[in-house]
Amino acid sequence: MAATTESVKADAAEAPLLNKRNLTLGMLLYLVFYSFIRWYEGVYGWSAGLDSFAPEFETYWMNMLYIEIVCEVILFSGINGYLWKTRDRKVMSITPREELRRHFTHWIWLVCYGWAIYWGASYFTEQDGTWHQTIVRDTDFTPSHIIEFYLSYPIYIITGTAAFMYAKTRLPTYHEGLHLMYLIAVIGPFMILPNVGLNEWGHTFWFMEELFVAPLHYGFVFFGWAALAIMGVVNTEVMAITKLLKKDLA
Amino acid sequence: MSASQSAVRSRAEAVQVSRTFDWMILFTLFTAVLGGYHIHYMLTGGDWDFWTDWKDRRLWVTVAPIVSITFPAAVQACLWWRYRLPIGATISVVALMIGEWINRYMNFWGWTYFPVNICFPSNLLPGAIVLDVILMLGNSMTLTAVVGGLAYGLLFYPGNWPVIAPLHVPVEYNGMMMTLADLQGYHYVRTGTPEYIRMVEKGTLRTFGKDVAPVSAFFSGFVSIIIYFLWHFFGRWFAKTDFIADDAS
Repeated sequence: MAATTESVKADAAEAPLLNKRNLTLGMLLYLVFYSFIRWYEGVYGWSAGLDSFAPEFETYWMNMLYIEIVCEVILFSGINGYLWKTRDRKVMSITPREELRRHFTHWIWLVCYGWAIYWGASYFTEQDGTWHQTIVRDTDFTPSHIIEFYLSYPIYIITGTAAFMYAKTRLPTYHEGLHLMYLIAVIGPFMILPNVGLNEWGHTFWFMEELFVAPLHYGFVFFGWAALAIMGVVNTEVMAITKLLKKDLA
Repeated sequence: MSASQSAVRSRAEAVQVSRTFDWMILFTLFTAVLGGYHIHYMLTGGDWDFWTDWKDRRLWVTVAPIVSITFPAAVQACLWWRYRLPIGATISVVALMIGEWINRYMNFWGWTYFPVNICFPSNLLPGAIVLDVILMLGNSMTLTAVVGGLAYGLLFYPGNWPVIAPLHVPVEYNGMMMTLADLQGYHYVRTGTPEYIRMVEKGTLRTFGKDVAPVSAFFSGFVSIIIYFLWHFFGRWFAKTDFIADDAS
């Protein structure tokens, strides 16, 4: 009886398997932030984003670009540095319950990664199409690019690398080596950002915004396929979680 | 085995944990596929999908199924062959269409003020459902590729016909004959408006009149078969769980 009481006390004291607060806050963070960004685009895209030579363009758009690049470098270094610095050096000796808890935390990262990919690759990328169909560009740093390429893509890159870093440093499943599909799921979408170099280089030669299906854009397509590698991550996770739960579900 | 060696305290908790993971996995798969599929589709078939005056009887009918059967085939290769879930194609297309509809409303209309009835997305659902049903009933990749792929191409135009037909009626405007969809494009000028940019009704096949759409759909179905095979194997590859040697560990 005493042992049971101790066990109940321990259960009450221990952290929950899934931290729902973190999951909700993570999702809300992207939603609220991107809602603000969309409002900003709506107001300052038209009023200050049409002429890149105008002083207000510098004020509302170029300054935003500078600020976001600095913030992204700090966030990337800070999050990944923290995850690496606080890595578990005895990851193979954790209890099954702790491993399950970490899988849940890992899935909070992955949920946020999927959510960030949606905003970057779907919402802001197609939005860029309608902006270019409407406004003839006079700079590589159009308002839609400052949001799409230099904000939403780095954000999903930061989220994806953090998910990978968390898995690699805290989960026994990923301790045996580098998970090929996880690497592709993170590096593939990441490569979309360097591919912006090709895209913008091409656009300095030709006005191709008239056609969204132009071959110049196929680099984005190729690296977008890498999102499918999330299936390999899912399969590995399902096997790992099944191993942890199998005897209890049998 | 003692309780401390178990990851969960009871069978009930194990079931709850399992269901919670299901939802988290589904959400992540859904949004990641949405992102990848959407960027692929908008940059390989997007212009035909964005605007009604690009939705012609020849190239729209040909291009859209060929470039859109890709992700459904790949996701089927994982969800059916690993988990016996017959929803791979449908879930991919539903994800894509949700992403597209949000965008057309929030951005095409909400930011750049194109009416939704010039920029609504194509309907890909009938073909996707047929792909899943054929895979579920036949349990054969080859059958799904050949019959499903062909059906995917053939069903595209009928699946969109109720929406597009009212915009394909002829009108005379400034002495010229055009469709109502062309007239929409004429009034909503875009950087893709010039006729040397707009890829519609090219060549002489269009002179066959009523036969253009079925011929294009049949050709599209033929290529979709090949693309299905290819992307099935892409899907299998992307579903691998291999590790590569980590010298650092």
